[in-house]
Order: sequence, then C-alpha cells, then structure tokens
Amino acid sequence: MLVGIKNASKLTGISIIACCAVLICTMFVNFYFDVRLIENEITSELSMIFYHAQVSTVKVVCLVSGGCMLLTAVVMLLFYIKHYIDTHKKELGILKALGYSNLKIAKSFWVFGISAFIGTAIGYAGAFLIMPRFYALQNEDKLLPEIAINFHPSILFYFVLLPTVCFSALSVCYAWYKLKKPVLLLLKDHLQTAAKTPHHRIEKNRELPFVEDLKRNTLKSKKALVFFIIFASFCFSAMTQMSFSMKDLSSEMMGVMMLVIGLVLAFTTLFLAITTVISGNTKTIAMMRVFGYSQKECCRAILGGYRPMSYIGFVIGTGYQYGLLRLMVDIVFKDFEDVPVYKFDVPVMLVSLVCFITIYEILMYVYSEKIKKISVKEIMIE
Amino acid sequence: MIKAEDIIKSYGNGESRFQVLKGISLDIEDNDFVVILGASGSGKSTFLNIISGLERPDSGKVFYDGKDITALSDNEVTSFRKENVGFIFQQYYLLPNMSVDQNVKMGADLADNKDYKTIIEAVGLGEKLHKYPSELSGGEQQRVSIARALAKRPKVLFLDEPTGALDEQTGRQILDYICKLQKEYDFTIILVTHNLNIAKMADTVIKMNSGKISEIYTNETKKTAYEIGW
Ligand SMILES: Nc1ncnc2c1ncn2[C@@H]1O[C@H](COP(=O)(O)OP(=O)(O)OP(=O)(O)O)[C@@H](O)[C@H]1O
Ligand SMILES: [Mg+2]
Repeated sequence: MLVGIKNASKLTGISIIACCAVLICTMFVNFYFDVRLIENEITSELSMIFYHAQVSTVKVVCLVSGGCMLLTAVVMLLFYIKHYIDTHKKELGILKALGYSNLKIAKSFWVFGISAFIGTAIGYAGAFLIMPRFYALQNEDKLLPEIAINFHPSILFYFVLLPTVCFSALSVCYAWYKLKKPVLLLLKDHLQTAAKTPHHRIEKNRELPFVEDLKRNTLKSKKALVFFIIFASFCFSAMTQMSFSMKDLSSEMMGVMMLVIGLVLAFTTLFLAITTVISGNTKTIAMMRVFGYSQKECCRAILGGYRPMSYIGFVIGTGYQYGLLRLMVDIVFKDFEDVPVYKFDVPVMLVSLVCFITIYEILMYVYSEKIKKISVKEIMIE
Repeated sequence: MIKAEDIIKSYGNGESRFQVLKGISLDIEDNDFVVILGASGSGKSTFLNIISGLERPDSGKVFYDGKDITALSDNEVTSFRKENVGFIFQQYYLLPNMSVDQNVKMGADLADNKDYKTIIEAVGLGEKLHKYPSELSGGEQQRVSIARALAKRPKVLFLDEPTGALDEQTGRQILDYICKLQKEYDFTIILVTHNLNIAKMADTVIKMNSGKISEIYTNETKKTAYEIGW
C-alpha cells in the first residue's frame, strides 16, 4: 500500500465535520420520517400547523447545515489529497519514474475514505443516543401525538455507507487526476506554480518589501487555506450569534447544539489551516531565521495575511445568520400567530466579535511561539 | 575579529553520546579568506554553525570584536545574525515560490539595501530577475544564493561546501565571483570544503581531524581558481 492508514489519520478534520453533519442530519431526518408516520393521527388545526412548521424546520436545518458541512468536508478532502501529493511529490515522482501506473498509485488513496466512515459512523451512533431527548423536546408542548423512534435503514445507507464510498471514490479519482502530470514536474520543486504565474503581475509588486511580498505569496500559493480561514470565522460568527438569537424561536437544546457544532467546526478548520500553513512553510521560516529575521517578522509574513480574511469571514457569518433567521421566521413560522419579532441582535454580535478576536489572537500567539521553536537547522534536513 | 575559545559540542545521549568538537580555539582576522578542510564527519559543519551563531556549543565561547555571542538570548543571536553574517549552503535553500528578485530581496531588506540589483547583475543574473529557482540551473541557483547573502552586506560570509553540488567549471566560476566580490565589498570569508584545490585560493587554511584542529597555515601567494587550473 502506498498511502497508509497513518496518512489517513491526518484527516481527523474531515471525520469531525462528517460526524457533526451526520449527527444533525440523522437526528432531524429520522424525526422527519417518524413524524410523517403519525401525520394521519393529527386532528386539530393547530397541531397541523405545528406539524408543518416542524417539517419545514427539518428541511431547512438539514439542507443548510448538512449541505454546508458536506461542501466543507469535500473541499477539505481535496485539499488534503493535493497537500499530500505536493508534499510527497518526490516519492510519487520516483514511483512513476520506476514504472508504477497512475492508477496503481491512485488506487491506494481510497484509504482517505476511511476518515469519512469513522466520522459518519460516530455521528450516526451519537444521533441515536441523543434522539430520545430530542424527540421529547421537539414535542414539548404535546401538540403532536406520541412519536416513536424507528430505525430507518435508508438513513444508514445514505448517511454512512454512501458518503464512505463516495469519499473513497473521490479520493482515487482526484489523486489520479493530480498524478497525471509528467514525472519531471513531480520530481522538480514547484515548477508548475512557477510557470503559471504571469510575469507582469510580479512586476507590479516589485517594490514591496520582502516580508509583504512573502505574505502575498503565502496567501496566493494555497487558496484553499484562505477558504478555510474564512469558513472558520464564518462558522464561529454565524453559529454563536444564531444560537443566542434563536432562544426565542426554538428550543434551548437547538441553541446549545448550534453553539457546540459552530465551535467544533470553527476550531477544526482553523486548526487545520494554521498547522498546514506552518508545516508548509517550515523551511521558509527556518531560512528567514538563519538570515536574522525576527520571530515577529516571520509571523507577520506567514500568518499575518490571514487576519483580514478571518474578519471577512466574521462579517459574512453575521450577515448569513441574520438572513437565515429572517428566512426561518418568515417562512417556517409564517402561519403562527404569536411569532416573536426577530431583530438583529447587536449586543450578541459584539460579544461574539470580542470572543472571536480574543480567541484568534491567542491562537496566533500560541502558533508564533511554535514558530519560535522551529530550529534554524530545520533547513538542513532534506 | 572572530575568536573561538575551547568550543566543545556533543550529540546524542547516554551510550550513544558522541563528542563532535573536542575543544577548538581559533582567531580569524577581518577580511581574511579562511578555508576549513577535513574529512567527512570531522565536524566542519558543526563548527561553522557554532561560530556563525546558528547553534550553541556545549561549552566554550565565540567572540565577535570582543562580544560573546554564546551569551546572547535567542532573539539577540537572531539580530546578531541579521547585522553580521551571511550564509551560502551546498543545497542553496532558495525559497521556491519566490522569484530571483524576491529571493535576493530577502537578504537586501535586512540591510535596507536599495540597490541590490547591482549584485544580481554582478553575479550575472540580470536577465533572470523574474525567473523562479526551479527554472534555473544548479550554478545559477547558487549564484542567486550568493547574491542573497551579499545583498545583506554581511561582515562575515559563511559557506558550507558551496560548490559541492556543482561541476568543476561552474564551481570555479562561483568561487571567482566570491573572491572578486570580497575585494569589492570587504568581508571575511569562512568556507568549508573537502576540495584541496579550493584551499590554494585561501589566505588561511585550517585542517580539522575528528573534532580537533590538526594544522593551520597561511598561503603566502593566494591564487585564483583559474591559476590553479582545476
Ligand atoms: N544534529 C545532529 N545530531 C546528531 N549527530 C550529529 C548532528 N549533526 C551532526 N552530527 C554528527 O556530528 C559529526 C560531525 O558532523 P558534521 O556535519 O559537522 O561533519 P562534516 O565535517 O561537516 O562532514 P561532511 O564533510 O560530510 O559535511 C557526524 O558524525 C554527525 O553524525
Ligand atoms: Mg558538512
């Protein structure tokens, strides 16, 4: 096997996200199936309205959170594979030079699908643990008849088995696509990125100081990381604000769940992004230290560029949660008479922003200490 | 002036502990061209790393104009390197995502050197300003690393087998560049090599043998690489 389980273990980020997504979706979809079974038993008009509200909530929540996380997990997977191929270019190039076919190498990438299996399986099992409480809360006011928990095999298939197979297949295909390059391109450092960059663009930035130049270059060289940073702060901002603003619109449990999932997603992606930024630039940092650039300058060049991105993510998240809650109030609860008015919650936004800035800066500090520990001899290790 | 006093350095722990440098003392004059010769594993690179402030000795001191750099904190050593030293390695270690211009600017910015382009011209890469390291030959890459090191106007230039990865002719060219530039910019050169021919180009030759200095001599008449004719 060319790509081992050990490499796949680096994909815990995907497992965590898959786990969250499946946890929520299983819970809601299972509820949806079970609640549909009792549709005929509903008699009063009020119950019917409540029933429809519940069904719409399920749809919105599943589509929004499930879709969002599925997208992230896929992007993360592709990113990991690309990162893996980039960092193992030489080995893979040598294998190809020795005569291994692309397909033969690519096939071993199926193990990356295991991360999806672990995540979805845990999420699925977790959902069944929380389900009794969830069902009780959804029907707290006893507006609907008793809802029993049933096992639906199709959910197991669609949320656990299918994602595993799809992720494995996607890994193999993407790896195969990425490996299609000529052997020399794999063996030689960065030849492709170098050839792709148009020269007139460099011309424009020519007079920037080196640290600024490097900052831009770091940002540009891994665009997926920019996405992850934006996504992390987006999750943080949207989910924390939503969980507090939603108190009046939904159960407390929903709020807590949102909060936990938001934080998990935010930290997983942020952690993934920063560690890859640093590990991808260890040699650069070591070389800068050899030449006498201070720790602060190294941090500024390598991590500094992501700060504005994280603020952009925060702003988008704030707008997103506002829009989503508006939508929920307008659509889901439109038949209710006493829907609480929903307004944009400025204090919550400010608290969330302050927390965000604090956490982000603490993380940056922790990582700048890590950068400090990078030995200047790191460059001499090939 | 650089002064090393009784440098001792070991690697490993317990049973496998191994003394690489066994007490090295040495004086190096300003603007000297020093070559350190020795067999593989004799501790040349380790010694170079220690006197250049990349690594700390277990005991012993390194003085630059009377200032002990082994007593400095990590941040202070970093800023010492910024002010004083330049490096050229066998493996070049250029930043692969940055163009020739940007790589050299990495050194130039540290010394606030605005006309670093003349140095790129001087090493003959004026035409390749916007090329990336992967688009250059080995000799050209090494010239970029020379330009990068010189652009920061070092007082001392450290070279660890700078021509090790190059063919003879390119290696000769590189060394002649460095000698020419030394006359122009005035700096001390400390160069580590296996190559006896390179030693003929030096002012001072230091021979190392399993962690100790076995011989020091000065060349009365220094030769250029072409005069030696290797
Ligand atoms: N980081 C390290 N950890 C353990 N041992 C080391 C380390 N660095 C060097 N050594 C050991 O120290 C000894 C001297 O190494 P050094 O690199 O200084 O030799 P050298 O004279 O430069 O050899 P070469 O000419 O092959 O480059 C070697 O035996 C090496 O194994
Ligand atoms: Mg060596």
